Amino acid sequence: MPDRWSFKSTVWPDWCPGCGNYGILTALIRSLEELGVDPSKTVVVSGIGCSGKTPHFVNVNGVHTLHGRAIPFAMGIKLARPELTVVVHGGDGDLLGIGAGHFVALGRRNLDIVVILHNNGVYGLTKGQASPTLPLGSKTKGIPRPNLQAAVNPLMLALAAGYTFVARGYAFEGEHLKTLIKKAVEHKGSAIIDVLQPCVTFNDILTPEYYKARIYKLESDPGWDPVVRTPEEREAKLLRAVQKALEPWDKIPIGVLYADETQSTMEERLSERLKIYPALNPSNSPISGADGGPVISVDDFAKAFSDYIVEVKKTQGRFNLKG
Amino acid sequence: MRRTELSLILGGPQGSGLETAMWILTLSLARAGYGVIADREYYSNIVGRHSYIHMRVSSARRPRSLKLPVEVLVASDAETLFTHFNDIGDGGYLIYDTSIKAKQLSDVPSVEDVTRKRIMSQLSSLGVRGDTDSLISYLASSRSVLPIPIDSVKIFRALSERFKLNAKQASRFSSSILGSALTVVMGLDPEDLEYAVRRRFGARKDLLEQNMFVAQLVGEMVKDYRGIVKLEDPSMNAERIMVVTGNETVAMGKIIGGVRFQSYYPITPAADESIMLEKYEVLDSGKGPVGPILVLQAEDEIAAIASVIGASLTGARSSTATSGPGFDLMIEGIGWAGNNETPVVITYYQRGGPSTGLPTRGGQSDLFNALFSGHGEFARVVLASGDHKEALYDAAEAFNIAEKYQVPVIHLLDKFLANSIVTETLPDFSLVKLERGMRGAEGPGYKRFDLSSTISPRLPLGAKDTVMWYTGDEHDELGHISEDPENRARMYSKRIEKLKLINMEIPSSFKLTVHGHESPDYALVGWGFVKGVAIEAIEQLSSRGLRGMYVNLRLMWPFPTEEFTRLVRGLDPDKIIAVEHSYGVSIADLIAMNTGVRVGKKISKYTGRPIYLNELTEAVQSLLSGRTERAEVSLGA
Ligand SMILES: Cc1ncc(C[n+]2csc(CCOP(=O)(O)OP(=O)(O)O)c2C)c(N)n1
Ligand code: SF4
Repeated sequence: MPDRWSFKSTVWPDWCPGCGNYGILTALIRSLEELGVDPSKTVVVSGIGCSGKTPHFVNVNGVHTLHGRAIPFAMGIKLARPELTVVVHGGDGDLLGIGAGHFVALGRRNLDIVVILHNNGVYGLTKGQASPTLPLGSKTKGIPRPNLQAAVNPLMLALAAGYTFVARGYAFEGEHLKTLIKKAVEHKGSAIIDVLQPCVTFNDILTPEYYKARIYKLESDPGWDPVVRTPEEREAKLLRAVQKALEPWDKIPIGVLYADETQSTMEERLSERLKIYPALNPSNSPISGADGGPVISVDDFAKAFSDYIVEVKKTQGRFNLKG
Repeated sequence: MRRTELSLILGGPQGSGLETAMWILTLSLARAGYGVIADREYYSNIVGRHSYIHMRVSSARRPRSLKLPVEVLVASDAETLFTHFNDIGDGGYLIYDTSIKAKQLSDVPSVEDVTRKRIMSQLSSLGVRGDTDSLISYLASSRSVLPIPIDSVKIFRALSERFKLNAKQASRFSSSILGSALTVVMGLDPEDLEYAVRRRFGARKDLLEQNMFVAQLVGEMVKDYRGIVKLEDPSMNAERIMVVTGNETVAMGKIIGGVRFQSYYPITPAADESIMLEKYEVLDSGKGPVGPILVLQAEDEIAAIASVIGASLTGARSSTATSGPGFDLMIEGIGWAGNNETPVVITYYQRGGPSTGLPTRGGQSDLFNALFSGHGEFARVVLASGDHKEALYDAAEAFNIAEKYQVPVIHLLDKFLANSIVTETLPDFSLVKLERGMRGAEGPGYKRFDLSSTISPRLPLGAKDTVMWYTGDEHDELGHISEDPENRARMYSKRIEKLKLINMEIPSSFKLTVHGHESPDYALVGWGFVKGVAIEAIEQLSSRGLRGMYVNLRLMWPFPTEEFTRLVRGLDPDKIIAVEHSYGVSIADLIAMNTGVRVGKKISKYTGRPIYLNELTEAVQSLLSGRTERAEVSLGA
């Protein structure tokens, strides 16, 4: 890659003017710049929706997948080629509606992937229907009647699922969000940042003004320390993170709620079982020999699958050549 | 009488060790040099429902089909006798556990009501009462069946005494007791049985001793019948024989073919394949470790296909395995792979649908689901395997096709193949070549969807100094979203026109195989598990003066239009018979759609059980001699 690589692609972002996604994009690009990642070893994976377009605007590898499926695509990429840095972008509809099962499954695996949740309370690209994070009873301008379904709390869900890095950011707190993304990328294990992202077109309740009046930074409390450094600390810190995640919405904390460094990652668990995994992984392990034939020979085959092979007893019978 | 072949059914409750008995029996027979096929039929249930092994053994060939009636029925419980009494031929043998004496059909709780009614009416039409004793005497007197009782209680008692086993431990031997009886009546050398037990239980000396003790007691108990159904000495000459299921040959094929990532969600009858891959995640070669094969049990089929695509983007040979319900969930992902020219292999084991249908029974009713699933048009390749060996080679070849042409490949199999055990020779490694297709040049300026050739240069995610984009939307050469009409038309047609290239480059000998007479009086056409039974059927009919050909279709899509048309040119459409385990016999429609050839006749079976040799030969004969267009066959319990 050239010395000065622009992490911003040349594709024009077609989001509505004033959309919170711009803030997230800028924070992402700046964090990648400051982390100095190799663009060819970095992959941004997204779902569908306004947020789903993010990879096209970033000058690193980008995989824009299917509605709700960014996490399993990312999982395959990361497991097959663990050297890659993998960052997922998805909307609240994407990650917590259609993709909720995958969202939970990633936490259980603690695979080293960062998930950035564009939380705007609505389904943006399909024009403003209620998303799983829109509070019960809210009537935003895109829906004809007040919301009948209660909101899921993404932070609580992530903590329950086993994410080892859980944070909340705000799209228009760029510096702060950039720092969160950097920390999430540096964290080993599954990381989620719930980013409050105003949808200025469809969500007339959770607006920039709304957030401006309520947001505060966890780091402003000098005693706030979310990092779990020993297993003994885990329970107390988890409980405090839960408390923060449950704070009523008149004051909204942003920052790192929980960062557990003591849990094994899926890569570590795999390496323990598959000793060759760190050196040989699915993407770089040779599959054929010099002659283009399989890497294993017929003798290797017979040895490996000896359980399935019977040595036929010499019979007295006549032999023909039918084989 | 010297026989060259023997068919048998061994039945009992699910969970009573039938599977072990099947393996031991097959391994003993393989050791002795016989050819075997054994199909296992079972309910969607773990313990208690009726399950059975239907086996055909031959001294002259490796049989690839089953037939009814069988010469020997082995019943470890009353339900087996009630369910299968009609499957045993005149002059056959009934080996049964004496504990089934004096049982009423109405007292067997595991029999479904509809089944009970059906059996009852069969029995009463024969003038037999609904109990085991009258049924056994009916078989003996009206069908000349020889009953051979086995007193397993006596054997349990001796076992318990000698090895200090409790009742539960001893009862686990119920299927092997009957399995042993079979080896005696077949006159097998006890050494072969010992070999099989050793193979099955490995270093477990106690189990070996116990099994051999059982065999000895059973041998004494039925010594008068030793060798009454003895087969001729085997006349095949392989020194090493694989004893494998279809699931296993597919897993072996994938391993030979270089699979490096497999993700799956458990479903019958596909899951065993993934379990086997995980077991062999690292292999030893003379030159060091081979692998790893990373097997991920995903949270659902959607995640399975998505992670497989993700892994494939990094350059790993990646696949999943599923059956109907799971495939349905994967379709959106397959469309993404099609749009993004991403090689993935989907191993699709058909079972009885729709919905969860007959979860543990077979069928071939998903051909169109594989061919036409998904919205929009995109190139895909669909392969179907006709037998265990073909399944092995196809599993490896599927990756080559997927990577060379950058397309999803769907490999169609069925439950019959997946779960049946056969004796088969070892694969010929010289027939397997790994081809990875066109690779691009690394570095800035790389265009993943370069339009200057039908197959764009592929590079993996993570290639040095290279970035690339993918999207499910229509895209430009770089992989960015584009709705430009001209770009749309060029990308769209480039993707689809790969099919022409594929059809041109895949050898005709792979696309379809032809068996039997070259200038036949009639042709059978089919795919998948029909192959074995069809080939044997035309052989049998040929000895009755009917010269037939069987066309086994292997490349289902793109359809081998030219090859097929050439083959059946000159044949009267009414002499072409399509055979399928489905109601619609979809292969006939696929042929018509691609070739304009009208297939005049159809043979259909959709009971969830495989087509048997005898019913196929009868159906073919009656279709050829009569004016009816369609025959439905339905044998089997
Ligand atoms: C399977 C499927 N169902 C529905 C859609 C239509 N769809 C496109 S965008 C979208 C909503 C996205 O909302 P969200 O995930 O919250 O992202 P946002 O647009 O708000 O960023 C939906 C439902 C789809 N693409 N795929
Ligand atoms: S609809 Fe909402 S989320 Fe989508 S681009 Fe516009 S403002 Fe942003």
